[in-house]
Amino acid sequence: MSQRRIGVYVCQCGGNISDYVDVERVASQAADNADVVIARTAMFTCSDATQADIAEDIRQHQLDGLVVASCSPKLHTLTFRGVAERAGLNPYQYTQVNLREQCSWAHTDDRKGATDKAVTLVEAGIGRTRLTEPLNPLVVDTMPKALVIGAGITGMRAAVGLADLGMEVYLVEKQATVGGWLKSMDTMYPAGKTPKEIIDQLDEQIHQRSNVTVFTEAEVVQKGGTFGNYVVKVALHRPTEQTISLNVGSIIVATGFDVYQPEIGQYGYGIDGVLTLPEFQDFLKTNPGPMVYHGRPVRTVSYIYCVGSREGREQPNAHTYCSRYCCTSTVHTALEVFKHDPGVHQYHLYRDVRTYGKYELLYSESREKGSLYLKFAADQPPAVERTGDQLKVTVNDLLTSRKELAIPSDLVVLVTGIIPRENDALVHALKLPVGKDGFYNEIHPKLRPVETVVDGVYIAGACQNPKTAGESAASALAAVTQSASILKKGKVQLDPQVAFIDASECTGCGACLKVCPYEAISAQSGDNGQSAYVVSEAICKGCGGCVPECPVEAIRVQGYTNAEIRAMIDGLLMEEVEQI
Amino acid sequence: MATLVNPNLIDQVKQSDAFNAAACMNCGICTAVCPMGIEHLPRELFRYVLLGLEEDLLAHRDAVYSCLLCRLCEVNCPAEVHIAGNVRTLRHYLNQAVFHVKRMPRARKATTG
Repeated sequence: MSQRRIGVYVCQCGGNISDYVDVERVASQAADNADVVIARTAMFTCSDATQADIAEDIRQHQLDGLVVASCSPKLHTLTFRGVAERAGLNPYQYTQVNLREQCSWAHTDDRKGATDKAVTLVEAGIGRTRLTEPLNPLVVDTMPKALVIGAGITGMRAAVGLADLGMEVYLVEKQATVGGWLKSMDTMYPAGKTPKEIIDQLDEQIHQRSNVTVFTEAEVVQKGGTFGNYVVKVALHRPTEQTISLNVGSIIVATGFDVYQPEIGQYGYGIDGVLTLPEFQDFLKTNPGPMVYHGRPVRTVSYIYCVGSREGREQPNAHTYCSRYCCTSTVHTALEVFKHDPGVHQYHLYRDVRTYGKYELLYSESREKGSLYLKFAADQPPAVERTGDQLKVTVNDLLTSRKELAIPSDLVVLVTGIIPRENDALVHALKLPVGKDGFYNEIHPKLRPVETVVDGVYIAGACQNPKTAGESAASALAAVTQSASILKKGKVQLDPQVAFIDASECTGCGACLKVCPYEAISAQSGDNGQSAYVVSEAICKGCGGCVPECPVEAIRVQGYTNAEIRAMIDGLLMEEVEQI
Repeated sequence: MATLVNPNLIDQVKQSDAFNAAACMNCGICTAVCPMGIEHLPRELFRYVLLGLEEDLLAHRDAVYSCLLCRLCEVNCPAEVHIAGNVRTLRHYLNQAVFHVKRMPRARKATTG
């Protein structure tokens, strides 16, 4: 190989690095390498001016490798890959060395030690860069069709959104009818529209669009194919059992939530007159006018909040999170009760009221109309028992000097939270990332809130975390946008730093197959009839899990080859030897 | 032994005049600014009324009558509870229901004017 031409830039980070590391010595020792043709320091390497200087150096000195020794690769790898690309250097021939987090910030008391370490880290970076090869992003075509799983408000809104962008949409629903939880709920805040009206409106919009196909009583059973062109098997249970195959470019998961179901005996659940919030809402819906429960007029209702939410970690399978919507839903329900009968006494036993945003107005209104709020401590939950004709709720009220109060009640409503819906088959089929709390996980809660680690598979609505109907619709449209961003272009670029199996060395032992978490490896018979394994570049995420499994070193991850890693180790060790 | 909550008390108090403490969030500013240093006035007292704890209310009736009605608490109340008005309503209720005080004759009112 002819001699490489490498440029090395050592950043001062405005003193963050140069206060503790002798950057001039680091640069000059880097320059001792014969193939380092340029080695400079800069006040801020990431500044526009220095980026322009680097680009100019790349062009002028015809660099074929670039090392920037600055901060964490998490921060600026893409920045300097961009500089390389703009100057005509392949971005994968760039190496970032972390001097700030690993030297200057870590060793503020040892300038010489920090500098020696910086020299070896840069030496390692140069060693790797010396072996880099140009890599080109993989381009895959995307099928302009989308699959939406779950036809609640989230899935329905997503289907309409995708259809309006010109996509072919398949909407798959497990139940016999569309509408999810909303179709069974009563009035909604703030417009007072019934959820049924909203669902009917969405249903009509779906029917008006010829590019949406709805499958009810259907389930996704398998996902094959590759990113951009997934082949999804859907089991239809009606009119006859059959399995169909759909080709889609993206998948939006909108499978929703479940409601926490108290155990018998929990807060008196099971006693006549102790209901969950959804059960109470059903009762209200079917009993217009003054409330009569099992023949007895209802004059007093006590609500117990946070049932199945914010549970202590010591409980097995605890739901430690706040379900967020239940305070608002209860306050709203209490106002509905006043519409039935303004004279009803309503006692709210809460831990903290979280009627965030505009829902605070509902909370104020409920207090003004006479709802009373009593606060209990998490370690002193209320107790419910039946005494004769009435239920009795006992609570230590923190707002009344922790006085123990007994509230005679006609109905006790347990304010139950949202829990994740169990759907192991779908999780398995799509390789969905499930969080500790049981909800599906996004890549980044703020910057990539609907994308999952599985390319082309998005999550929306309450399968991700507790959401209101409005928030669910908003996340549906976010998922639509992300879907469209890959489907509208017709192709996507993928990171080329993926695994590659050298067929001439592969012995076909299959060790790599067992560890691949993405099922990216498959068998293929080679020219000589001997079977070898190949990696699907579109599926592989470049995690490198297969590399150490291979007994004959036939697998390498592009950009992180064994040779490159050995060169980095050599770089680190060489300097150590010199110091002795 | 738990004190029994009685929803009827608030209904009775409300009948006598406008009593409204539902907006109270128990922040305690009223107690902090009270020039009389009346600990039980007004937030705990209002709690007794709202929850119908009549015995507790009667036990602290001195507080109801010690209030200067200066309204320092009221102007500082973040929830805009009409505290002084509520205290007057409570006095009215206690006068009637507990002490059986008759209404002042109208003629008396005229002479003081």
